[in-house]
Amino acid sequence: MRVLTKTSLYYLMVSLVVFLVGSISFYKIMQVEIYDEVDDQLFTDKENIIAFIRQHNRLPNVTSGISEAIIVREANEENLVIEDLADTLIYSSYDEEYIPFRRLTFTARQNGKPYEYTILKSLIDFQDLFESTMLAMGWIFLLLLLGLVAVNYVINKYTWRHFYNTLSKIKRYSPSQHEPLKLKNSSTKEFQELKEVLEAMMQKINNDYLNLKEFTENASHEIQTPLAIVNSKLELFMQSENLTPHQARMLEETYASVSRLARLNKSLILLTRIENREFREQEPVPFQELLEEQLEQFQEMVLMQDLTLLPSQLEPVYVYMNRGLAEVLLSNLLINSIRHNYKGGTIQVILAKDELCIKNTGEELQGPPEELFRRFMSSKGASGSLGVGLALVKKICDVYRMKASYDYADGMHSVCIRLSAERYK
Amino acid sequence: MKILLIEDEHALNESMVDYLRQEGYVCESAEDYKTASLKAADFSYACVIVDLTLPGGSGLDIVRLLKENSPETGIIIISAKNALDDKISGLEIGADDYLTKPFHLSELNARLKSVIRRRNFNGQKVVRVGLLEIFPDSAEASIEGRKLTLTKKEFDLLLYLLSNRNRVVTKDSIAEHLWGDHIEALDSLDFVYTHIKNLRRKLIDAGSEDYIQTVYGLGYKFSC
Repeated sequence: MRVLTKTSLYYLMVSLVVFLVGSISFYKIMQVEIYDEVDDQLFTDKENIIAFIRQHNRLPNVTSGISEAIIVREANEENLVIEDLADTLIYSSYDEEYIPFRRLTFTARQNGKPYEYTILKSLIDFQDLFESTMLAMGWIFLLLLLGLVAVNYVINKYTWRHFYNTLSKIKRYSPSQHEPLKLKNSSTKEFQELKEVLEAMMQKINNDYLNLKEFTENASHEIQTPLAIVNSKLELFMQSENLTPHQARMLEETYASVSRLARLNKSLILLTRIENREFREQEPVPFQELLEEQLEQFQEMVLMQDLTLLPSQLEPVYVYMNRGLAEVLLSNLLINSIRHNYKGGTIQVILAKDELCIKNTGEELQGPPEELFRRFMSSKGASGSLGVGLALVKKICDVYRMKASYDYADGMHSVCIRLSAERYK
Repeated sequence: MKILLIEDEHALNESMVDYLRQEGYVCESAEDYKTASLKAADFSYACVIVDLTLPGGSGLDIVRLLKENSPETGIIIISAKNALDDKISGLEIGADDYLTKPFHLSELNARLKSVIRRRNFNGQKVVRVGLLEIFPDSAEASIEGRKLTLTKKEFDLLLYLLSNRNRVVTKDSIAEHLWGDHIEALDSLDFVYTHIKNLRRKLIDAGSEDYIQTVYGLGYKFSC
């Protein structure tokens, strides 16, 4: 949920609660006030009536109106009502409904005889007043609420704009772009702090990235040179005329190890370079042509392993990527299918518009398939394998947002690459 | 034939000089930019082998200098950086070949011969060894005039062995020469063995001597 929506929702919720509590307390206060007022009037009437009796020694004329009625009757000496204040409902035949009244009953004596007075005061006027006031209040509250939310939304949108700007910039940021992250200054303290922290962090990431890159380059250079020296000396050594078979064997083993080290170093450097996204030249690469080329190159190896290349189904597909990496990707997949095969097995290559699948016969995988794409996960059977081939495949797929998957069914391994959407027809 | 070797790593420089001298080349070496550019300017060489990272300057500048002053000189770049950009700019300004460290001396030797062969249009286009005649341009070989039917790989192998005649050529270097980088994932040594076996049989069947020897477990030697 966006922060704007979220704050607006919270505002709404809080406003609703405030509105409810406010209305209820307002209602209660109004009610108390109105009753107070009506009761005052009733008691004033009572005082007036008693004063009248005392002054004139007769009962006052009883008048009845719409909003007021005074009823007098002789009271029974046994159950005298001294004073009783209550609500009551009286049916109005005109309105055909019950109308709320406030009633004060008391007893006044005239010539020692008790008379029961009941003064009724209609509450309907007050009720109406009360209702319209509440309605007006409601509207005011609603408008206030809407205004509040709208103003809040606009202000938030305005104050958060730097935040959104920063966010979109970070999303697109990659250290291999070699462009420093430039964020806008904000007058909001928090966003300014965020900007400073981010910039410092990016600076650090950038430095680390550059260090790593430098290290990779140095490692490549510094390791390759001694390797070249060892290699050349061994080669010269081999030319000696009088080597014993024992020496020759030791020499051969040393040489093989050095070669392996050199290849390993090369592959790891390649992996790191892909990771650093150093292969930035891109072009639409014709996968079909490339596959055909590579299949021809591997023909010989396929024949030597007694493998059968099942007819390939290749559609003309162009993938927008670095050509060198495309070659690495395809050759590693093909080599993988040759290597993890058995004599007399088959290989099939299927290239559809959005997927490349290479299927080959082979022993079932030992270990979880997810491990397959990790580094140095070479199987035991295949000697000499560095175990970097599929890691390279995975890394290249990651760079171009393609998805590599593995499946094993009916004695067939199939490695499939879901090609990215960035393609050219 | 005079060769100039520009490589700042003394031990490596020495190895290369050693190997190439045994091949009969006259080798001069330079270990820094200044010496190298002086030598390149003052003398003429059949081929210059130059490392790109040198103390005091870039090997690319030497390549440029050579291109200007003596365009007939062959140039092979060796570099530890396998950065594609270096390779491209190196070849663009006129280097004939590019080798990435670490390389096999036999590979360097084969490339050197190939460069010299290509440069020397007036020179021999046929390589003759014993009864063997090899035509690198048309990728053909014959024995006493009888044409051999060799696959492309077999021809490349024969040429490679010939380039390093009387030298032990390791199986690794053969594999790398024939299959390039792909080889690292395959049982290359079996392939090399098969190819050597086939080539040997074809040569013997055509009436040639058995030139190709196995040297312990190390590799093979074309001795003649």
